[in-house]
Amino acid sequence: MKGMKRWIVFLVVAGFFAGLMVAPAAYSADKIRFGISVPLTGIFGKAGKLVLDSYKLWAKKMNSQGGILIKGKRYPVELVYYDDKSNPGVSAKLVEKLITDDKVDLLLGGFGSSLVFAASAIAEKYKYPMISGGASSNKLFDRGFKYYFATLGKATEEVRGCVEMLKELKPKPKTVAIVGSDILFTSLACEGFKKYAKKAGFKIVHFELFPIRLQDYNSMLMKVKKKNPDVLLVGSHTLVAIKTVKAMKEIDFSPKAVAFSYGPTVPDFVKSVGKLGEYVFAASEWTPNLPYKGPVFGSAADFDKLYYKVYHRHPDYVEAAVAAAAVTQQLALEQLGLQPPYTKAKREALMKKLHAIDVKTFYGEVRFGKDGANVAHPPVAIQIQHGKVVNVYPKNVRQAAPIYPMPPWRDRK
Amino acid sequence: MVLQSIMTGLLLGGIYAAYSAGFSLIFGVMGVVNIAHGELVMLGAFISYWMFTLAHIDPFISIPFSAVSLFIIGYVIQRLIINRVVDAPPIMSYICTFGIHLIIANLALRFWTADYRSITTSYCGSNLECAGLVLPYARLATFGMAVLMVGGLYLLLSKTDIGRAIQATAQDREMARLMGVRANHVYAITFGLGAAITGVSGSLVSTYFVIYPQMGLSYTVTAFCVVVLGGMGYIPGALLGGLILGVLESLTATFWSAGMSSTLTFFVLFLMLIFRPAGITGRGIVE
Repeated sequence: MKGMKRWIVFLVVAGFFAGLMVAPAAYSADKIRFGISVPLTGIFGKAGKLVLDSYKLWAKKMNSQGGILIKGKRYPVELVYYDDKSNPGVSAKLVEKLITDDKVDLLLGGFGSSLVFAASAIAEKYKYPMISGGASSNKLFDRGFKYYFATLGKATEEVRGCVEMLKELKPKPKTVAIVGSDILFTSLACEGFKKYAKKAGFKIVHFELFPIRLQDYNSMLMKVKKKNPDVLLVGSHTLVAIKTVKAMKEIDFSPKAVAFSYGPTVPDFVKSVGKLGEYVFAASEWTPNLPYKGPVFGSAADFDKLYYKVYHRHPDYVEAAVAAAAVTQQLALEQLGLQPPYTKAKREALMKKLHAIDVKTFYGEVRFGKDGANVAHPPVAIQIQHGKVVNVYPKNVRQAAPIYPMPPWRDRK
Repeated sequence: MVLQSIMTGLLLGGIYAAYSAGFSLIFGVMGVVNIAHGELVMLGAFISYWMFTLAHIDPFISIPFSAVSLFIIGYVIQRLIINRVVDAPPIMSYICTFGIHLIIANLALRFWTADYRSITTSYCGSNLECAGLVLPYARLATFGMAVLMVGGLYLLLSKTDIGRAIQATAQDREMARLMGVRANHVYAITFGLGAAITGVSGSLVSTYFVIYPQMGLSYTVTAFCVVVLGGMGYIPGALLGGLILGVLESLTATFWSAGMSSTLTFFVLFLMLIFRPAGITGRGIVE
């Protein structure tokens, strides 16, 4: 027994010294450490996991080449990440911990507007640039921040492609109804739908925001059905989109088209609703068929192929935007020839560079406006055809023509 | 349009009644407000989901499995945990069941991930059309089950030995004990029963609602409203409360706005608690 105890003490002491010897290496300037606060549990847990996968793919890709090449020297990439449990307060705390405690070199953005809102405030305070690929609510850009950037467009702009696509349909739809849940991101999408529907000359016969907690959609949609709109536009995230489609089928509501701001591009959607998801439209910012290409990942199709090889699933546009955020920061470092360690002055230089940057990537062109939003990126529209996400807009790059009007429920097998 | 809205509301009320009856039973007998109630719905729904996904068993056939599994889970939870706080002040049972809620929801999240799932059967979303009204089959079935469950529970409590033992324990635990009733066992049976019918309702809702580990809390809140409306602990009150709430919400959503429907729900709850705490029937328990 006594011998055992001694052994344990020895092991602990040995472990401590081993740790001491290893620890300094982690802080050396031989690699670049990126800190991420990302939701892995809670309501954004699922999406946060995808975001992290995307960063991991980027890190893997870079490290397979020996790291990021800056002024002739290669710096391997290390990701330091924590689960913020979908809680903005935790997210802010974790970013502070990453900066002050873990002493990471630079940051990468998380997922979810409310979380990124909190996290980016801390990044701004410590003057760390943060490029997010998983948050798009307009209020993120209204704060006068200098260190916050996003590869996605603003939430109200993301739905533009969808409405423009509808405008070009023949026969052109005349009336639209807009509904959406009342959380920030989806209500902004509804605002965007409204703005562009007016511009396109559609008559808005109904507009309604409903509580995100609303358990049953039947009564609400029954009312919309009675107004008989040609098109139903929904400000949604995945859960809202799934519930809407199921309710439409239940109450036999068949408009000529239905479009969602977010949801159908997420693999869960088709998995969950199966054939009911057929013919729905959705806003998107990126699909693998787009003719974009750039350094690191090659073309959009190359990125898709690599992603599929590693994770056995195709990337959603958010995953692409996230990888593009990492790539953009990397390109800025390379162009500036900025080597670690990243002092305050160097981070400031990086921030200034990001404001001026204009790069072409697999995700498309990235150029930030004064408020940090990506202004060079046109939104696209997709439709679920035969269980797959298919690009249907803009016309010159689409994979297939939009199927319109969608067959009523009773005529479907 | 009015008729359609009322019918939609009645069907929704049937769903509410189905998952609220167990809540009412547990409160009526033990005085425990079970905050983990929604998790029992979630477990029932997941049992049906997995049986459908892995073994292609129809959700309606998996109902007995949900009932039995949830009965066992309910019995064990009561015996091991809640039994220890039954005599303590109510706040203890809130804390305790809140803990159970967190544990079950997070274990489910751990094992089943936060994915949104739903069961898509061949008849999923199909509906009966009569006289211009659209009535989804699955909801009609739920309505029928709700009436059966509430009726069955009522009969069980009034006509059988175990039912009388449950009622006796609810009225006066010490006296029931003196008469030879094993109070702890009766409590556990009650909780098991409450959990079982809640599990059945979980299987039923799995055919038209979305299933995910964190779905529970909203069910608990609605069940609470329904039960306050119908009278805490008065079983037929769950059916009445459910139907009233369902119709009220449906009419508000159709003729006003969906946002107002939950506002109105809580407003009614508030009024009931102030002016008529024993529920619409006046037969609920007021402490």
